[in-house]
Amino acid sequence: MQFLLLFWEYFQIGLFTIGGGYAMLPMVQQVVERNGWMTQAELIGFVGIAESTPGPFAVNLATFVGMEVGKATSMGVFGGILGAFVATFAVVLPSFVVILIVTKLFIKFKENKYVNGAMSGIKPVVVGLILSAVLTIAFAVVFPKLQFDSINAEGFSEFRYVSLIMFAVLFVISRIKFGKKRIHPILIVVLSAVMGVVAFGFFNLPR
Amino acid sequence: MKSTSLWQLFWTFFKIGAFTFGGGWSLIAVMEEEVVVRRKWATPDDMLEMLIISESTPGVIAVNMATSIGYRQRGFWGALVATMGVVVPSFVIISALSFGLEALAQNKWYQAVFYGIQVGAIVLILNAFLKLFKQLEKNASNLIVMVVALSVSLFTNVNVVFVIIAGAVFGILVNCVFNKNKRLPAEAVGEATKKEDE
Repeated sequence: MQFLLLFWEYFQIGLFTIGGGYAMLPMVQQVVERNGWMTQAELIGFVGIAESTPGPFAVNLATFVGMEVGKATSMGVFGGILGAFVATFAVVLPSFVVILIVTKLFIKFKENKYVNGAMSGIKPVVVGLILSAVLTIAFAVVFPKLQFDSINAEGFSEFRYVSLIMFAVLFVISRIKFGKKRIHPILIVVLSAVMGVVAFGFFNLPR
Repeated sequence: MKSTSLWQLFWTFFKIGAFTFGGGWSLIAVMEEEVVVRRKWATPDDMLEMLIISESTPGVIAVNMATSIGYRQRGFWGALVATMGVVVPSFVIISALSFGLEALAQNKWYQAVFYGIQVGAIVLILNAFLKLFKQLEKNASNLIVMVVALSVSLFTNVNVVFVIIAGAVFGILVNCVFNKNKRLPAEAVGEATKKEDE
């Protein structure tokens, strides 16, 4: 039964990958290969699309893989939707249960000095990890050839200055305060989409 | 706190799921804005704690955040509707698009939108970082730990989980073993944010 298998595989992916959606990718690759669900090339195509549609990347990818697996059964389109539901549900279920338990325990033991000590040690780690995410994504957009584990001149050979200028403009706009509030982040997303259409669509600028 | 309705929770997370692109971090930036600044459901410090829990447990970070925030607001049902809120838009959009998606991905205008949004996502994450950095107490140990975590994650392939565990062990050693009488930095940070709120 394909749907049970899909549930079980995605349940494991949801349970055993720590560190967010991108950490799931290698396991997803293994699973689709082992079960013959799709080729690696197809999966990579999906990864690109999952990144460029709204919502958490890993949930998008799960919905996709489920849809493909379901469509391949005798149930056709209906099977596709069922498969998408099964995979999405399965990938979210384990963390849902874990988070409920951990949040409950954390609220209970918040005053405990070891829990508190551990938290105060992790806080700067998480701040560092977010900065790392900023730099990774920013350099991937502005210097697409740069690799952080082997930095050389080749990495700077492609420079997407239009993206850099857009970034600077958007950043300044995002820091402007209206009264006590800044512009809502969703508005920044909308604005960036509009700028993308103007720059890369109408004026055909290079990225 | 109890006044938050389940519908409000669902709707807030639905918006976040529907309008945010580019992986977990930009979703978290929008959550920070909605949950801390607009709705005042959590303090910046609560938010950081939930972020730590979400990072160090299995699963998708943005979904974990939704579960955790929902649970704190309205218990089990709050967790359920917040999680559904963040997942449903993805599910609907992908299902609807999956029939013509390959063609769409090649479309020039769609690509233009996506390239623009990619740049927007950097701005959101950078702002989330600035906000968290402002909250962090700037003592030597915090700054060193931050730079080490940054370097390890940027230049090596070490799994993030180990960096988090190392941070926890370091925190316990510094605060509980070596410095028994010192006030915990976490408490100091908590007080600092309280003052800022006033």
